[in-house]
Amino acid sequence: MTKVTTDDLKIISKYILDISGIELDESKAYLVETRLGHMVKEYQCSSYGELCRKAKIDSSKTIENRIIDAISTNETLFFRDTGPFEVLQHKILPDLIDKRTEESSGLFPTTIRIWSAACSTGQEVYSIAMVLKELLPDLKKYNIKLLGTDISDSAIGQASYGAYNKFEIERGLSKQKLQKYFNPNGGNWKISDEIRAMVTFGKRNLLKPFVGLGKIDIIFCRNVAIYFNLEGKIKLFENIASVLEPDGFLIIGSTESLTGICSIFEPKRYLRTIYYQLK
Amino acid sequence: MKQLKILAVDDDPFTLKMLNKKLDKEGYDIETASDGVEAGKLISQKFYDIIITDLVMPGGVDGIDVLEAAKTKNKQTEVILLTAHASVENAVDAMRKGAADYLQKPVNFYELTLRMEKIRNYKKLLKNAQDLREAMDVTEQNAAQTIQHLEMSVAELQSVVSKIRQVIMSQSVDPAKCVDRVFDIVSSC
Repeated sequence: MTKVTTDDLKIISKYILDISGIELDESKAYLVETRLGHMVKEYQCSSYGELCRKAKIDSSKTIENRIIDAISTNETLFFRDTGPFEVLQHKILPDLIDKRTEESSGLFPTTIRIWSAACSTGQEVYSIAMVLKELLPDLKKYNIKLLGTDISDSAIGQASYGAYNKFEIERGLSKQKLQKYFNPNGGNWKISDEIRAMVTFGKRNLLKPFVGLGKIDIIFCRNVAIYFNLEGKIKLFENIASVLEPDGFLIIGSTESLTGICSIFEPKRYLRTIYYQLK
Repeated sequence: MKQLKILAVDDDPFTLKMLNKKLDKEGYDIETASDGVEAGKLISQKFYDIIITDLVMPGGVDGIDVLEAAKTKNKQTEVILLTAHASVENAVDAMRKGAADYLQKPVNFYELTLRMEKIRNYKKLLKNAQDLREAMDVTEQNAAQTIQHLEMSVAELQSVVSKIRQVIMSQSVDPAKCVDRVFDIVSSC
């Protein structure tokens, strides 16, 4: 494995920060080596710095995308930390549906837009879809838009395909939900067509301006900002505030905090989980 | 890691004897069964880390039945199938049903021990991943409680500060009353 030098680490960290917002300090040299070492060899580079240079001039962006895929962490599971899904099912969705139904005066189907802002391989956004299906058996009456985005092409690819192996399935999913919402697929499990059809997937860098998104009612942005530096965190939550409906809801990771990052959100508690709304 | 418990199943006494001898010598804790029926009884009574079973056996219970019984009893049991050349396709089918690996007969013991080591390493990695996940979950839950408590406390304190600021900035309140009001705000929180 090619060793990363101090100078190389500076070059590659700066490059990764620019393309993804992910901050790698000097303690993360091992991460660069284990996750990008094979690419240095594959692209016949003499160093990580040269890999960066090749990535920058590659107009197809193949190398850049592969670096993002390799360096981003896709740790996720179905119904991770149950709390946010309880809040969604028992507080946020009932409140919003009442409000939006009243606003539309019954003339149009009630529209709710939900965004899983870093959906990784899809477990979070499909968990949201399952909550919706449980709460609203007659989904056709509503106009629910469910969007999942991620910076990693390969994560989005897997999410969109919707197949999970036994280890991914074992994590967080009850037997009852597995039977109800998945079909066996050659040793794996594939999300049912009905749930899959509820979600639209796309690639998005959360540090770039949020163009073409429109306004969103509920945003899940969990355990993404933890990989960003303070400047990135501020930019991310400002971007989120710009697309969140004034009475919309934001859910962040259970160990994350907006204190000192973004003062336009107000934390609120429901049972043992915190969610945020614009002040 | 503790010694792996192995069950070898084959109706051919020679193969069974060799498996027993070689694997015992390698330090595995091995038991044997001479057909699928006997294996089924043992599986229902005990846990085995790895079951090495012949695919085709007389008596109505074949290697696939042994595989299914083992996986039904405990998913953590790994199964290696022994197969004659002609039934390789059946073995591949068995892998789809959850078998860890298959070997062609006559058994090459060097190859078998390599596969066993692979399974042992795989189980170690799996255990390690489960331990890490468990440790992460516990740490995360503890951290979440602390952080969420602090997040709410900070928000409450900020609201108190802004109320106090409003009182102080207000021109119409005389200084003595101003102190009283600030005191009221502080004592009410």
